[in-house]
Amino acid sequence: MPKLNREDWIDLARKLDWDYSHVREEEVFPELLSGRPWLPHAEWQHWDEPYRTSYAEYVDTQADKDAIVQGVREAVGRVEDFAKLDRSWLNGLKLHAATMAFTEFTAGIGDIRGARFGRDSAWRTMALFGALDEFRHTQIPLLLMHELVRWDPQFDWTHRLFHTNNWMGIALRHLVDEMCVGTDPLEFAIATNLVLETGFTNLQFIGLSAIAHDVGDRMFEKMVTSIQTDEARHAQIGHPVIATLIRHDPERAQYLVDKWFWRSWIVFAVVTGFSMDYLTPLADRPLSFKEFMEEWISDQFEKTLAAFGLKRPWYWDIFINAVDIYHHMVYASAYTYRATLWFDFALPGPEERAWLRQKYPHTWDLIDPVWERITERWRTSGPGIEWSTQGATMPAFCNLCQIILSNGTPRSNAARVVEHKGRKYIFCSEPCAWIFSREPDRYAHHKGVVDRMLAGEAPANIVELTRTYFDVTPEVRGEDMLRGRYPWLRAHRSDPGLGG
Amino acid sequence: MLVPLYGFLAGDTLGLLVQVHDDDPVHAIAEQIQLAACVRVAPRAQAHVYFRGQRLDPQLTVSKAGLAPMDRVDVVPEEG
Repeated sequence: MPKLNREDWIDLARKLDWDYSHVREEEVFPELLSGRPWLPHAEWQHWDEPYRTSYAEYVDTQADKDAIVQGVREAVGRVEDFAKLDRSWLNGLKLHAATMAFTEFTAGIGDIRGARFGRDSAWRTMALFGALDEFRHTQIPLLLMHELVRWDPQFDWTHRLFHTNNWMGIALRHLVDEMCVGTDPLEFAIATNLVLETGFTNLQFIGLSAIAHDVGDRMFEKMVTSIQTDEARHAQIGHPVIATLIRHDPERAQYLVDKWFWRSWIVFAVVTGFSMDYLTPLADRPLSFKEFMEEWISDQFEKTLAAFGLKRPWYWDIFINAVDIYHHMVYASAYTYRATLWFDFALPGPEERAWLRQKYPHTWDLIDPVWERITERWRTSGPGIEWSTQGATMPAFCNLCQIILSNGTPRSNAARVVEHKGRKYIFCSEPCAWIFSREPDRYAHHKGVVDRMLAGEAPANIVELTRTYFDVTPEVRGEDMLRGRYPWLRAHRSDPGLGG
Repeated sequence: MLVPLYGFLAGDTLGLLVQVHDDDPVHAIAEQIQLAACVRVAPRAQAHVYFRGQRLDPQLTVSKAGLAPMDRVDVVPEEG
């Protein structure tokens, strides 16, 4: 029997739609589950993406990729390999692994919904591959970090974070539950495939993988480049979805882009901003976080928006200003609340602070006095006295993004209180307040850490809160990476210094 | 009665939750927030409390100053 050419059969495997005769289309694809505006399939029938992969091809390709990751793991993925890496980089790795594994898992749930309720069969086919991709991206960091748990229990948070009420876990769940679990496939495609995967993941796949190479972390480098090949494929879902949405409801398209760009930015600023500007050894920093953002995110995203005829988000100036300072505000704050987290923090020394001043000439002078104060307290207390540089008063959290209130500048914090139906909410920024105001019913019922504490659902004492509610036990709690034993601090006092 | 407030100290990098009594003087808010933020910002002897852009009389009580639970207050230390 003659074999058909691939091009003659591929669309039967990936793009096959038909008219329903026993049920209405609206019953097969209800608006609630498929997304709004609800459009008949005729409006989606030209949906397509460039990869045009069959299931058999997908499985073959993924098997090859997994074999390569496994080979790298066997060569350089053991405890002794990680033990050779710089300590600050390892702490960035703990942060990334914990935020990554279950974010990917929830994205898999969103993709599964797309695989059933996406409005064209080619979309549904790609969403199915996307779901399989995301579960792979869950399993890889869980597998790799599991090896390290016995060596360093903080790596256990790769699995644990999302199952705790840790404030960063609450913030991440608030984001990804909405983005991936609480959305319809249309919003999911814009939030995840278009904004997050096309817009932001270059920070990881290009920026952090290059840094991992320089640091010597071949395993992380291979992991993210392998994941990137999947993301590049399933990110293609977003473009034809927004193109159709723009034709029928451009205002909603613009809103979804604006909303998800800000929500994604907040989380990437914390996770990647910490890593690039504080948890990468100075000698291995090719660019600052801001430079990566400008080159790989801001410019690229503006081009993507222009290609679709969309405007820059209304808060673009706020965003540009935030790129200059927001992650510095959060890092300095989190350093003084490090005992509430599961990874260790680096204290920036004179060389790091000089580098940061050079990279952030417009804002660093606003942040530097805080580091001078923290440094002074280390000098006074001597090494090992963690409490002398730890905050003991409850921080406050944004009622939208659930991150600490660190937008704006030290001179002018951008937080604002808004009353809605008799309850006061506080937001870290104008965009977070705006997102809430557009869909208050979606967010109003959520209780942040402060609400839980005031309602008696969480301990009011921060030590007790950390231990029993944030689930940070003494063996994993974040400390200063060298517990104040920095050579440059030693010059100012007669302490034993490193290893003393 | 305890009044939880969102406190922001000029020079600091985050907002804090502080709890004061409704009959505490306003200057106690400044003292409490400065103490809470002292790991990041050195306390000053004099600091002013602002609510909705207005500087509050330090001798007023929290309730007389019109502060209610979950309001935002700003503390600005005096220079020098």
